[in-house]
Order: sequence, then structure tokens, then C-alpha cells
Amino acid sequence: MAIFMGNKVAVIVGTSTISSFVSTVSLNREVEAVTITAMNDNIQNMVGGVEVSSVSMEIFNDFAAASVNSLFEDAIGSKLAIKLIPVTGTVSATNPSYSMSCLITQWTPISGSTDSAATASVTFPVTALTKATS
Amino acid sequence: MVPSTVRTNLKTALTAITGLRVMDYVPDSTNVPTNNAFAVIGQLSMNYDYTLNRGFDSATCNIIVMVGRMSEKDGQSRLDGLLSSSGSTSIKAAIEADKTLSGAVQTLRVVSASPGTITSASIDYLSYQYSVELIG
Repeated sequence: MAIFMGNKVAVIVGTSTISSFVSTVSLNREVEAVTITAMNDNIQNMVGGVEVSSVSMEIFNDFAAASVNSLFEDAIGSKLAIKLIPVTGTVSATNPSYSMSCLITQWTPISGSTDSAATASVTFPVTALTKATS
Repeated sequence: MVPSTVRTNLKTALTAITGLRVMDYVPDSTNVPTNNAFAVIGQLSMNYDYTLNRGFDSATCNIIVMVGRMSEKDGQSRLDGLLSSSGSTSIKAAIEADKTLSGAVQTLRVVSASPGTITSASIDYLSYQYSVELIG
């Protein structure tokens, strides 16, 4: 695989593919930096702590039954399974999938402005993450 | 979004305005009825990949509306009615009456209308160019 465009990401929430409602998506994998600097150190020292990944999306809202609004608004406070695939299609070593459990901590059912479509810009903490290559 | 369907359905929406002659293609020549108006649905300017995985695109469509000769006061009055944001002669209200254009797009908005003149057969016509944003 080579450099690829980021416009074919598959965004699957539960069993619903919502790619056509998403304009941007990013999975940020990060671990906490735990400081272990001691008295005899001349520079700070750290070890990796727990993973604190998050997934961010810009979503065009839709109040239709079983569409994105009900999908997320009904899940506020609970966890949803979200799966991302870099390029929609077959999962492989060069096109791995990321399956995660996300705590739905926020949702923006109403975001009005005079000159643009209604969107929700959200970031969810990831509480479990699995990378698969098949 | 199918451009030809969008243009056809924009034409249908605009024909709700009594007396407005609408063409969903750019004509070779114009024959503007006196004291009446003439609209041309222009070509779409497409912006692909508005959402992921070929979900939706966005587009801008220009609509040119012109009325009788520039010297005619009635022409300006007619354009004022078309320019209004509401009412039975409003271009914006007619187009936004069904923001999906019978399902051809997800949503749309008439963004602006800019005045100008169109010259055809050595005759200057008062005109407005409308800009319509579409997502679908």
C-alpha cells in the first residue's frame, strides 16, 4: 500500500455505517506519560502509563428514525462499539480495522448557524481498542 | 447528486412563480417577454467528497434571472418582487419550499443574489445572479 487519500474511511457505529454523514474522523492513540523523575536525575524521566485514546468526528446531523442523532443521543452515558477502516473494503495488513468501545460523553443535537449544515463535532474517549488485520 | 435532475427540479420549483419563464439549460439566445421575467438554471459547480466514502457532494448552482429592458421601470419592479425573501414571487421562497428538491439533494440554501446586466442581441437586460448551495 502507498500513500492514500483519507476520504474513504469506513465509520461503523454498532451495525450502522454512517460514513456518508461524517466529514472528518480521527483516531488519536495516546498513552499517559507517568513521571518517575528521581532526586538524582538531571532531566525528567517518564514511563508510559495507560492508554487514553480518543476518537473525534465531525458529523452531519439527521433526525430521521435510526439515523445519526438517535444513534448517539440515545447512547449518551453509555458505550457504543465504533469501528474504523482506513479505506472502505477488505480489512488486511495494509488496511487494518480499529474496533473500539467508546463512552458517549457528549452529543450536539442542535448546532445552528445561518450559513452551514447542522453538524456535531464530538470527541469520545476510547475504553477498549483492538486492531485487526483480517 | 445527479446534476440534470437537480436542474430539472430547480426548474420545477421556479415555475411556481406565475409568469416566470424558466429554462434548465443555457439557451443560445433569449427572448425576454416585456414586463415579465426569464430564468436560466446554470451549470453546477461541484465540490466532491463533502462526506466520507463518496457519501455526499456539495455544489453551487447559479441561476440568472432577467427582466425586460434596462430602461423600463416595470422591469425593476418585477425584479424587486423576485428578490424578496418571501412571498409568492420570491425566488428564494420558491426554491426553498422543498429543500430536498423532491429528494434530489439532502438540503439546499439560496445564498445570495447579485445584480447585473445581461446583453443579448444588443439589448441590455436587468438581471440578478442567484447562488444556490446544494448538498447531496
